[in-house]
Amino acid sequence: MSTDGYSSRSAALWRSMGFAALLLVVLLAVNLVLNPARFHPAAWGALIGLAAPLIGAALASAPVILGGRGGIDISVGPTMGFVNAIVIQALFLKAGMSSPFVLIPAALLTGAAIGAINGFLTTIVRIQPIVATLGTYLVLTGVTLTILPAPIGPAPAWLKSMSGPLSILPLAAIFLAWWGIRRLPYYDQLMAIGSDDRAAYTAGVPVTEVRFIAYVITGTFAGVAGLMLTALIGSADPNIGATYTLIAVAAVALGGVSLAGGRGGLLGAAIGAIDIFLLQSVLTSFNVSTYVLQIAYGAILVAAVILTAVQERAAKRERA
Amino acid sequence: MMAKLKTFLASTNGRVFGAFVIAALLHLIGTLAIPGYSSPFAIRAMLVIAALLAVASIGQTLVVILGGIDLSIPFVIGFANVVAAQLYGDGWNFVLVCLLVSVMAALIGAFNGYVSRKLDIHPLIVTLGAGMVVQGCVLLWTKGFPSGSAPSAVSAFVSIGGSAGPLPVPWLVPSVVVLAALIILMMARSPYGRRLYALGSNPGAAPLALIDPVRMWVITFALSAFFAAVAGVLLLGFTGSAYGDVGQPYLFQTIAAVVVGGAALVGGRGSYLGTIAGVLVLTEINTLLIGLGFQPAMVQAALGLIIILLVSLYGRERHVSATI
Repeated sequence: MSTDGYSSRSAALWRSMGFAALLLVVLLAVNLVLNPARFHPAAWGALIGLAAPLIGAALASAPVILGGRGGIDISVGPTMGFVNAIVIQALFLKAGMSSPFVLIPAALLTGAAIGAINGFLTTIVRIQPIVATLGTYLVLTGVTLTILPAPIGPAPAWLKSMSGPLSILPLAAIFLAWWGIRRLPYYDQLMAIGSDDRAAYTAGVPVTEVRFIAYVITGTFAGVAGLMLTALIGSADPNIGATYTLIAVAAVALGGVSLAGGRGGLLGAAIGAIDIFLLQSVLTSFNVSTYVLQIAYGAILVAAVILTAVQERAAKRERA
Repeated sequence: MMAKLKTFLASTNGRVFGAFVIAALLHLIGTLAIPGYSSPFAIRAMLVIAALLAVASIGQTLVVILGGIDLSIPFVIGFANVVAAQLYGDGWNFVLVCLLVSVMAALIGAFNGYVSRKLDIHPLIVTLGAGMVVQGCVLLWTKGFPSGSAPSAVSAFVSIGGSAGPLPVPWLVPSVVVLAALIILMMARSPYGRRLYALGSNPGAAPLALIDPVRMWVITFALSAFFAAVAGVLLLGFTGSAYGDVGQPYLFQTIAAVVVGGAALVGGRGSYLGTIAGVLVLTEINTLLIGLGFQPAMVQAALGLIIILLVSLYGRERHVSATI
């Protein structure tokens, strides 16, 4: 990390998410032209609600990736689905609990517990992160399908009302939490480990603990994302959650977070997720078949990471 | 004695050995718990399913040793499956069809390898994006309803009821055994194999030994896509008709097989023999759990638990203090 003044820091910020931010502006403009009614500023609240689970999933995926050495949590999607099933099926419908003061802590604790399990497996048992979280991925999707074989509803009224403009609240809560974390020494330790864990270890950074906590943070954020998903669909569905995993990782990469760790941040991840959401919306408004949608989607994803990489290389050459 | 055993299990050979032992143990449990588990038909079915997974996992093994990962395998399997059926149904010569599908698959893989290495982008993203484009193109071409079928020769080649001369298994099984021997030989003895391990274990030093990283990545990812295409055509014979999503279960299964077989996803370590052991373990677990009457959802959950359990037994990484 560079600490030699504001200008180099903002330059680094531009290098890492400049492309994603540029794409955001372009896509927003295209969307406004193509579909003025849907993208009228008055409708932005509803749009944020639609994008919220994806943004949440991307935000949740970021901390462990920042921690480096192959850190990744592919169980983020299934965690969201599991939280969705627990909150609606087990707590609301079976046990009759509808109070936000029960459901919100329950969702956060479930997420944090799954994160702690992932953290235990990857940092203490020391299984490669993609394998460990693949294991929890399979377990969570299996268990979710067992407690909830088919979609069921409804969600409590207060939770459903969070699907529109109010979905900014959980997103703001995640950002506020991250803002707090960035003010702690913990954040610098995480980024140091992400850049070079061996150097960080010799400098006395407790590598295992820091990585473990990153998984708990990811799990907790995934719990929040699960609540946002529940609010959006207003019911419980065992099959939706898992679809968020890969798209969230793609959003994180698009937002300039290095999958090798140590570079990027949650703002970039959020911008990457919004890019993907806007892209989906542009493609849908062209009224093309879902097949073309998928082609364009994959192509733009690859093109975006290629352009980001080319730009980074150019920037490196400039400095050299 | 215990310490010796522990160092043996920590070595690559030990991991491979461990995986084979676990596969044998699982088979023993199955035989004791489920009547007919070791009946000739059940064993034949398991061998065919394992052989298909073994072919699909060749590429993942090579790519993982190189230090990458290939998420495009399921999409390329689906691509080969649908395109081969469609073209053969349109009256093309099947040899020509296979040639065309192989070349196209290899080009997809070469693109993955080139972009990932040359621009230093994580292959996870590149292969996922490329895979989605490939699948979208196939869907667009067939309008979502693939038609056509496999020539009867391919069906007979993989049919569970088939026999290879005096052997009571279809030709697929001995062919995969020979193929596996060739792959193992290639990885251990050929210059390509040496370069693969060298580049995987030390990407910084390998170029100094005149190993061209970009070329290695292009070749290896092309090989991975090629074998995925082979698996796709074989699956066409196995299921009888084309299906674009036929490869989806192979996304996580190939990774799991490679890892259970003792490879490290950071590269430089692993072997195809290990992957074969991993394939056997996964096939045994699947058959055992279904035989015990678990629902598919619970089979999946149990599979996840067992992968974690196995890898924590012998697939543990070193502590960061041991890497300095």
